[in-house]
Amino acid sequence: MNADLEKLQETNKTELERRGSIFNIGAPAIEAVTIRNQIAVGFGDGTVRFFQSGFEPKTVKAHKGVVLSMANYADDVLTGGDDGRFLKISSDGNIEEIFNFGSKWVDCVASHKDTKVCSSGKTVYIWTKNRDKPQTLDHQSTVAGLAFDNKGKRLAVSRYGGVTVWKLNNNKWTASNYTWKGSHGTVTFSPDTKYIVTAMQENQIHGWRINDKADLAMRGYPSKIKSFTWVGDTPYLVTSGSSDAVCWPFDGKEGPMGRKPIVVANGGKELATFVKALNGEKAVFTGFTDGSVLLAEIDESKKPIMIRNSTGAEVSTIAISSDNSQILIGDMKGSILLSSLWADN
Amino acid sequence: MYEGGIYRTNYKEIDMENTSQVPVTVLTGFLGAGKTTLLNRILTEQHGRKYAVIVNEFGEQGIDNDLVVDADEEVFEMNNGCICCTVRGDLIRILSGLMKRADKLDAIIVETTGLADPAPVAQTFFVDQDVADRTKLDAIVTVADAVHLSSQLVDHHEAEEQIAFADVILLNKVELVEDNDIVKVNDRIRKINPFAKIIKTTRCDAPLDEIVGLNAFSLDRVLDIEPDFLESDHDHEHDDDVTSLSFVSDTPLDMDKFQVWFGNLLRTKGQDILRSKGILNFKGEEERYVFQGVHMLMDASPMGPWPKGKNRSSRVVFIGRDLDNMNLKEGFENCKSA
Repeated sequence: MNADLEKLQETNKTELERRGSIFNIGAPAIEAVTIRNQIAVGFGDGTVRFFQSGFEPKTVKAHKGVVLSMANYADDVLTGGDDGRFLKISSDGNIEEIFNFGSKWVDCVASHKDTKVCSSGKTVYIWTKNRDKPQTLDHQSTVAGLAFDNKGKRLAVSRYGGVTVWKLNNNKWTASNYTWKGSHGTVTFSPDTKYIVTAMQENQIHGWRINDKADLAMRGYPSKIKSFTWVGDTPYLVTSGSSDAVCWPFDGKEGPMGRKPIVVANGGKELATFVKALNGEKAVFTGFTDGSVLLAEIDESKKPIMIRNSTGAEVSTIAISSDNSQILIGDMKGSILLSSLWADN
Repeated sequence: MYEGGIYRTNYKEIDMENTSQVPVTVLTGFLGAGKTTLLNRILTEQHGRKYAVIVNEFGEQGIDNDLVVDADEEVFEMNNGCICCTVRGDLIRILSGLMKRADKLDAIIVETTGLADPAPVAQTFFVDQDVADRTKLDAIVTVADAVHLSSQLVDHHEAEEQIAFADVILLNKVELVEDNDIVKVNDRIRKINPFAKIIKTTRCDAPLDEIVGLNAFSLDRVLDIEPDFLESDHDHEHDDDVTSLSFVSDTPLDMDKFQVWFGNLLRTKGQDILRSKGILNFKGEEERYVFQGVHMLMDASPMGPWPKGKNRSSRVVFIGRDLDNMNLKEGFENCKSA
């Protein structure tokens, strides 16, 4: 290669690209979860790969088709696949089949301490410690999202028509329904567990204040919201789905009701597809349809930093290692950037 | 996608060269008509192609393949103010999942239950952006039982809808029916849907390339409408029968007037209009405009200049119920430019 061109390409690299490693897996990166200093990524070829700085990634052939969902479970990961298997996988390559649903997909998985949860069709299956058989929770329509609150006492299940929040009391789950017309996907509890929020089939997110079921409609997006993340102490719920990262304030009694969001990390004509909080900071990583990633403070007057250049494929996952030292960015073409977040001394 | 008929000039999604959109064939037809026979043929005669098949939960047994996915046929109402706008929620989920596969699929086949209304399936491809970006509705194929279709059309309005929505109709089990009865059932189909391609089969033995990979929903295909087909007589007994109407005009149309009329028509009568298609010659426009609609939803775009030496005539086609009470002829006539 022409030396000048090589130099030019080198200087066009971002700081993180220069000091990081790039892996081309060749299958879409679906989801990533952090296990200590490793980051496990599920791919569209059914593999789960464990990435760690300074090491070659370890590949575990987990599912036949697509890894549809992932959650961390102590030092292991839980995965659900379109081969109907719900698995527990450790980074040494050990696979334990928790359940096989046959021709039904395992759409969502979740965990809290030693509780393992998955959904297949309209039913949620819960495995708790000391029980061989799962408890089952049935719903009227297919489950599209699962989330535990931070104490593991409540499990939010999103579906068509709203969310069912199941509460655990004396080993029994009781349901409370939060209703809003339409189809609800990914679901999250606010860190203070006062709110639940879902990403909808339409280009909007919907929230409820848990104690009085007051509705919060957050609209105005040009596309579907595929990703959200809680940022900072306020906290802000930062979402994808627009040309910026859209940050809704959830402080005070009313949260975002009647307020406008802050918008940061403008991607020009590209739409944000994935957002991820930088732990401990009031800042968010935003990945776009072209593969680029910006780091922005939740402050409209601050300029964002370019983290990753365009790859031509939409950013589908971003994860940060538990010690906040490593970042992993994956896209739909299977390109992975693994890099240290901070410059070496 | 627009609700209610607005023209967009900058059309992005229907990109004929965009091979990353996987074609989806929707398979309808009553129980026992032969859908499973056809699915098994598609799965066993793949000829190096990779097809995923989404089957309904009440499907007949006998299909076993890694790429067979169970569906629940969950019909969701959209929150977009469009009263007839329902979509197949499970299909959105399954198609999104299939699009995450590392290996690319050549086509996806969606089987629906015998009594299913085809509209929510078709509307899913208009309404959901993720589905529209990664897949495209290729054709609605209806398998009809030559022995029982006539009585099914009387007893079940779903049967009528499945015929009305179809781009291709496999008139199956013809070996069990007398020739003059085949002519009768053929005429009955034509009365409901004069545009679908009818293939007469025994055990669904039509060539697969006449069923899968047709691009029937591409706006280009609207241009294939044969004006001769459109001379539909429609003497019928019941007002809720599905019929078709078509209009032709050699006088250029006024774009503003057409948009107002057509937009209002779909908004107010879209529930009864099952399908609409058309090629339009607007005054002052060099390009042909084409559109294709399902109930209230439609796609439209300019489709290049008119062929030299050919008549610049506008043609519109409607398939639906109660078409006589929509003043369609008058409405269309009023769109002619002064």
